[in-house]
Amino acid sequence: MSTRRNILKGAVATGALGTFGVGYAGTLEKVAKGHWSGERPLNNITGNSAAPEFTVTPDGDVELNPNQQVSYTMCIGCTTMCGVRVRIDKEKGKVVRVAGNPYNPLSTTDFLPYGTPVQESFRAIAQAGEGDGQRHRSTACGRGNAVLQQIDNPRRVLKPLKRVGPRGSGEWQTISFEQLVEEVVEGGDLFGEGPVAGLRDIRDLETPINPDAPEFGPRANGLAMLSSVNDGRDEINIRFLKQAFGSQNYARHGSYCGGSYRSGSGAMFDDVKGMPHAKPDFGNAEFILFVGTAPGNAGNPFKRIGALVAEARSDGKLDYVVVDPVLNNSDSGPSGARSRWVPITPGTDGALAMGMMRWMFENGRINAAYLAQPGKEAAEAAGEANWTNATHLVIVDETHPRAGRFLRASDLGQEISGERYSDADPFMVASDSGPVPAAASAAPLFFDGVAETTDGPVAVRTSLTLLRDEAMSKNLEEYSAACGIPAETIADLADRFTSHGRRAAVSSHGGMMSGSGFYNAYALMMLNTLIGNLNWKGGTLVLGGWFPDNKGPAYDLATFPGAVKPSGLPLGRNVPYEKTSEFKAKKAAGKAWPADGPWYPNAPGLGTEWFSSMVNGYPYGIEALILRNANPVYGIAGIGHLVERLKDPAVLPLIIAIDPFINESSALADYIVPDTVMYESWGFAKPWNGVPSKVTTARWPVMEPKVSKDADGATIDSDLFLIAVAKRIGLPGFGDAAIPDADGTLHPLNRPEDWYLRGAVNVATIGTPVPEASDVDMEFSGVTRIRPDLEAVLKPEEWRRAATVFAKGGRYENLDKSYSGDLGAHTWAKPMQVYNEGVGAARNAMTGQRSPGTPAWREACFADGSKVAEIYPRSDWPVKVISFKSPLQNSYSVGAEVLLRIVAANPVNIGRALAEAHGISTGDMVRLTTPGGSLESVAIVRDGVAPDTVAIEHGYGHRAFGARDITIDGEPMPADPRLATGTLQNDLGLLDPTRDKTGVWVDPISGASVRQALPARLEKIA
Amino acid sequence: MNMNRRGFLGAVGRVSIGAAASVAGGAGAANAAKADHIPKWGMVVDLRKCIGCQACTVACIMENDVPEDAFRTHVSVYELVKDGQDPAMVMLPRLCNHCENPPCVPVCPVEATFKAESGEVLVDASRCVGCAYCVQACPYDARFINHETQTADKCTFCFHRTQAGLLPACVETCVGGARNFGDLNDPESAVSKLLAENEVSVLRPEMQTNPNVYYIGLEDVLSGRVAGEAAYRPAHTAESVAHAEGV
Repeated sequence: MSTRRNILKGAVATGALGTFGVGYAGTLEKVAKGHWSGERPLNNITGNSAAPEFTVTPDGDVELNPNQQVSYTMCIGCTTMCGVRVRIDKEKGKVVRVAGNPYNPLSTTDFLPYGTPVQESFRAIAQAGEGDGQRHRSTACGRGNAVLQQIDNPRRVLKPLKRVGPRGSGEWQTISFEQLVEEVVEGGDLFGEGPVAGLRDIRDLETPINPDAPEFGPRANGLAMLSSVNDGRDEINIRFLKQAFGSQNYARHGSYCGGSYRSGSGAMFDDVKGMPHAKPDFGNAEFILFVGTAPGNAGNPFKRIGALVAEARSDGKLDYVVVDPVLNNSDSGPSGARSRWVPITPGTDGALAMGMMRWMFENGRINAAYLAQPGKEAAEAAGEANWTNATHLVIVDETHPRAGRFLRASDLGQEISGERYSDADPFMVASDSGPVPAAASAAPLFFDGVAETTDGPVAVRTSLTLLRDEAMSKNLEEYSAACGIPAETIADLADRFTSHGRRAAVSSHGGMMSGSGFYNAYALMMLNTLIGNLNWKGGTLVLGGWFPDNKGPAYDLATFPGAVKPSGLPLGRNVPYEKTSEFKAKKAAGKAWPADGPWYPNAPGLGTEWFSSMVNGYPYGIEALILRNANPVYGIAGIGHLVERLKDPAVLPLIIAIDPFINESSALADYIVPDTVMYESWGFAKPWNGVPSKVTTARWPVMEPKVSKDADGATIDSDLFLIAVAKRIGLPGFGDAAIPDADGTLHPLNRPEDWYLRGAVNVATIGTPVPEASDVDMEFSGVTRIRPDLEAVLKPEEWRRAATVFAKGGRYENLDKSYSGDLGAHTWAKPMQVYNEGVGAARNAMTGQRSPGTPAWREACFADGSKVAEIYPRSDWPVKVISFKSPLQNSYSVGAEVLLRIVAANPVNIGRALAEAHGISTGDMVRLTTPGGSLESVAIVRDGVAPDTVAIEHGYGHRAFGARDITIDGEPMPADPRLATGTLQNDLGLLDPTRDKTGVWVDPISGASVRQALPARLEKIA
Repeated sequence: MNMNRRGFLGAVGRVSIGAAASVAGGAGAANAAKADHIPKWGMVVDLRKCIGCQACTVACIMENDVPEDAFRTHVSVYELVKDGQDPAMVMLPRLCNHCENPPCVPVCPVEATFKAESGEVLVDASRCVGCAYCVQACPYDARFINHETQTADKCTFCFHRTQAGLLPACVETCVGGARNFGDLNDPESAVSKLLAENEVSVLRPEMQTNPNVYYIGLEDVLSGRVAGEAAYRPAHTAESVAHAEGV
């Protein structure tokens, strides 16, 4: 039972934290020293501690340590991408330690004014600074402190790799960059397995990818690119794939991360593709309900939320409740009643939200004054900061061809000055004299009646009436039974939530990745709209924005002469089924539904569903996949069932991974392109959310990258690879004449520097340009390292301003730009959708049925509409399994081995009652089985787990990153069992048993993978 | 032993550039600037602000090259169940308490461990014989034998950094702002103000060690709990907790 020993060891090591020194065993008797038996440390008092990076005298003089460099750049240890200060031992070329950039709001709550010179920023964080150096304290998190180890990770890919054996065999050979580019572009018999089409052939903008279905576009759509996250380099990916190569198929990891949350929010914000969302104004809210998200335990922006909530619960006014199946670091015992945990049955958050809504409707606790404004003018006149479609009338007559759509003026035969059902066709609201166009005054919130249209009388209701109907469709006891939260607690939460005016908020995220995820998220977000908190201080705020690198006054990096506009329906089926030839043919044959597979008209690009499309060739197969730092094979629940098919080159002929590591997905690649990591690479990132002021965080190579060079001496990375491929094929937008400046003069794109340095000029010159960096600024910030590039690439009047952006690790609006009076300074102007017409009018491709256009509580179901609980009944599958985010590990951090010193494994968390029912004690070995898989692990019995729930921390259970043996150029690199520690909850993920064409279980609206509330059995095995 | 600041930093080369004065230091800094002022370092840990992220733990390892099997500081994470209440999470950052009355000092047979001028309890590795009496004597389990140097090892309050006018690594990177560090001899310092304005407690007060590490929000039930059960190890009830001895 080696597994058990490994995991138990982990658990014990965790416990051993309490002893500080695990290595000390028993009394040591050393009478006299004689000669020193150990290694002499650098210093007798401070041992091997690093020399300080600089000294700050009490007078405030800053004296640099000439052996070290301190630079402000970006962490990419998770998706938050905080600004950090990196301290480098120049001689050893090693990062000593990383902390925060005090200009950067993701690392600093009280961040420095942008005008502060760099050397003063050093003083601000020293003893001589305000608050004894702690007012502007700027931090890195546990993982952020650890991930510098990835740079020197011995398992890093430093040279291009080509597989030797079959796909996934773990046998590789190193090849030159030039060979890599030639082979992937030109194709040929690359592996002795027969001919493989190269990217040059695939880049065919004329031939349909499916001759029978021209709606799927050209053969070029047969190259798909799955990126993990926008790490600040996405623009160049998109330029390559879409604008130059001409493929439609670009997606990121969202559909196996938090996609259902974003989709639910997107429905309310009326953009199901961009999926906007707001975050609580943590520092000013008086009450926050966190559901399926854990402030300070995980999330994005992790540190900023953690710090703001910690401060608000200690020194501020915040009370908060965390609703989650598992108790985690978001709770704070020492904060007493200000922080509270409420357990919930996994995947049932919508029942809680709809129950709260019911109570709010019944007790008059909705913000009627806000909801009654039917349009922008009315809202402005009423002093509202936003408006909703609560009062708009929806056609509810099921027989009407526009069932589920809003009633418009033209439906009543009214004259309109534009196209029917366009923006020029007014929405209708109720009045004493029947439906009237929404105007500049308040309208009735509730109406259930008939509109006389040109086609006769039609049943209509307001959006808010539909929402109320939905909320009232069950009573509190029924909602309570569904979610496991007592009815009085639901009422109490609704009461508390509605007792602070607009200074209250609901926040959510990854807990929404259940089979009911879309509606759960939509319902939770709707609570915010019902109290009208959007844009208000203490309510919910949208991202303040950024200073974009791709579109600015100096250079246009977003467009270029000869750019292609990709065409055709996307691989992820995130468009209406009705657009397909299949639909038309089936309709003509008299049975339009079901489609051969599910479609998701209200979803964004769906990386998760790509894999079903690829292995089934539905709606079409592809010829090549680029995985860019993405790891879907680790991240998608249940994808293990598809991996064998992906290994077959006949199914997917070419897989190229761009990755610094061999992860579970790049392990299946034909080629691995090495990439820079952490502080070696370029990029510009805006925060995901949660910062009300403008932020652009800059990443730049503050040290010499470890990765190898091409024949011209350029560092091999993701960007250089895409540039080289594009140039070899002869794609537009790359090469000597690629980047237009303001005068239209074209500048080269031959190296990453050509792109990012010009991007920096845009960042620097938007609005009032930043000041020029002095030589002193550059010396203190280490920017002298890239000064030759700055001067060589940029114009004389540009380069010092770009240098300022790098010297300060980005560009930031000052803290005092966060608010404007009682509002956030950057407000969201478009209306909230109490009823989302796109969702409410769409027909499910498998059932032909419509789904609610308002938030609703719906039990999880599979693609054909069958309830999961009917196919996998509770009698057989009495337990629900969830995964939760770790404060330390994520899906790609395991190689930062110091993290395993702190938490060495992820035993499964079992609630006390469930454990007792099975006779399970902490340390026992248990087996969890779902319809999708099984795993064995060590149990931790806790009180902080919801009944009948087992919770598994994410980030462990690796099969790559060094967890298995590999061979490179015939040299074996044996596995390190520590890297394989623990289990992966996604191994329990389900295939959807109702899908004829194999696919994992996804939410029917968002198309996002389902990892929460998996039906399971638990047994003790030892 | 040359413990003065210049002597300590003698090996560090420097480039000196005067800083402008617009980021003003507080009164504490002004006080500390007086030539004859000797600071007494202390830490006030506000447990309400700790989020258990372990940034301090990792920063300490990186800064001080702490060997594989040991910690100079870390955060114990507890699930605390009290009668009739929902379970709650408690994060407890732990480190050397730099006691006024450090039990580790008198037991050292070779006077390797000592109180430095600003109150830090330090070990002179050139004297230490690795007998581990101090490891046993410490009521906070804050010491260990460094297997590389074969000498006693522990938190120094980042002596090398405070001498350079900087903050300890754990304080610099404390995400929640729980760890506050400064001069207890300066009534205007951030830590002195925290002590004046909050009810604070110390770990294992019965040991009469007079720690210079204080806690805001420390439950009595945890004040003696230094041997430590694991993060996510079995929850303990208020009744069952014994004031554990050092391991």
